Amino acid sequence: MNLQFIVDGLISGSLIGLGAIGITLTYSILRFSNFAHGDFMAWGAYGTLSVIAAIGALVGTTAPIGALSFGWPLIAATLIGMILTACLALLLDWLLFARLRDKGQSIIVVMASFGASMALRSLLEFIFTSSPTYFSRGIQMAIPIGLGIRITPDQMVMLATTVILVTAMHLFMSRSQTGREMRAYSQNPALARVVGIDTARVVRATWIIGAALACAAGVMVGILVQIRPLMGLDLLLPMFAAAILGGIGSVPGAVLGGLIIGLSEAAAVQLIGAEWRAAIAFAILMAVLLVRPMGLFGRAER
Amino acid sequence: MSILDVPILDVRGLIAGYEPGLSIVKGASIHADEKEIVVILGPNGAGKSSFIKAIAGLVPITGGEVLLDGKDITYGAAHLRVRQGLAFVPQTENIFPLMTVEENLRVAGGVLPRAEVQSRIDEAYTMFPDLARQRKLAAGSLSGGQRQMLAVGRALIVHPRVLMLDEPSAGLSPKFVEMVFTRLNEIRRAGLTIVLVEQNARAALAIGDRAYVLVEGREAHEGRAATLWDDPVVAELYLGQRRHA
Repeated sequence: MNLQFIVDGLISGSLIGLGAIGITLTYSILRFSNFAHGDFMAWGAYGTLSVIAAIGALVGTTAPIGALSFGWPLIAATLIGMILTACLALLLDWLLFARLRDKGQSIIVVMASFGASMALRSLLEFIFTSSPTYFSRGIQMAIPIGLGIRITPDQMVMLATTVILVTAMHLFMSRSQTGREMRAYSQNPALARVVGIDTARVVRATWIIGAALACAAGVMVGILVQIRPLMGLDLLLPMFAAAILGGIGSVPGAVLGGLIIGLSEAAAVQLIGAEWRAAIAFAILMAVLLVRPMGLFGRAER
Repeated sequence: MSILDVPILDVRGLIAGYEPGLSIVKGASIHADEKEIVVILGPNGAGKSSFIKAIAGLVPITGGEVLLDGKDITYGAAHLRVRQGLAFVPQTENIFPLMTVEENLRVAGGVLPRAEVQSRIDEAYTMFPDLARQRKLAAGSLSGGQRQMLAVGRALIVHPRVLMLDEPSAGLSPKFVEMVFTRLNEIRRAGLTIVLVEQNARAALAIGDRAYVLVEGREAHEGRAATLWDDPVVAELYLGQRRHA
């Protein structure tokens, strides 16, 4: 049996997990399923691509770093892209979600996120067309690491970046005052106000973190696969499945959920057939909802 | 009126309710002076809980005013009232169950200078030694009495001027009720003003200085706590409600 699916699964699982962090935070703190989250990934990737083009126009061509397919402009552009995506999320909240949230019906906010998702996607197709594009067209040689498994330098860096981002997120949520405030708000918004927490600040932090991580995941998808306006939509179901599997509100749960979905999908491709790939996230989601609705790390509150 | 006569908390003709046009609090007024324990009594459905929540900023206010130390905070956000010195302990769900005891205290310290947070948490542990022993436990695993202590300890973290509590004795065993009220008396002696909504009238009046009886969203009677219990008007206002022994 070829074990290559483990690497493939870990990588797609990392990307799903990074995206699922934003979904789980939005769900537990702002109390709605944000279907536009996948589009933050796509906008993040296109935003980063545009910044790279701008950097290229300013400083000319730059050499890639070592054996990687990209150079420093991509790293700098990703950081700027994360800020831009966070601004996009804040703008969307200000224009749309905040106004509807105040009316107190979460289903309306969910429907609005559907609409926002379609609008954001169409806007990307309008600006960049629907044909795929790439950060780099170079072909990378995969390095054998034993047991018949091969991994490219890009993939190694993406896995390491995911580990760093997830660890940083976990420490932020458990150790920082803002992280504590976000957890407190997700458990009891009214009590959070009573203990002096500025809830508007918590909402802003949630959007900034979720959107920035979505951008990072979008850029990684762009590096490893390709950039398309539909890239986020394709990952939406696996991301929701990961967030629910991990337990809504749990950052480590979202990442573990992502890895389980990613590995299951990759295993399904190898063992059952590629046409079943998309069904796996859905099957796992259904099984979790039936057996353990609160997810792996979720707890029945109060 | 000289500046010294300004009550620390002055609520005048407060009108509040969750739905527009459906007021639960219909023009209630109370005031509390420095180091005073003020008790708010009243029959079920009198709007006591909504009244104190409105003062805390949790129920929308549509009329009247709330003055803290002479400053108008009527329409300020709830979290700003805490920063201005008005702390509130809700009756139920007053802790974050999935966070540890220590995190529950720490999360309330966000408005303090970072260097002061730990010493304030240690103060809470000194006041409630039980909490110190359970600092690493999830707050959701505490008993009812311990939760109440945690909620009070957390409210005191910011060193408020006024501490408001909604039925702190609800659901507690007599031993804990006595302990909670003893602690509240100590807190008052340390310089705080306390406003208390209570069903357990006898226990509350025993430590209170003054009391109001709230009926149908308005204060219907005011008096010294020591004499209120035997006041025939109060019995009348409770209208068939049996007094708590």
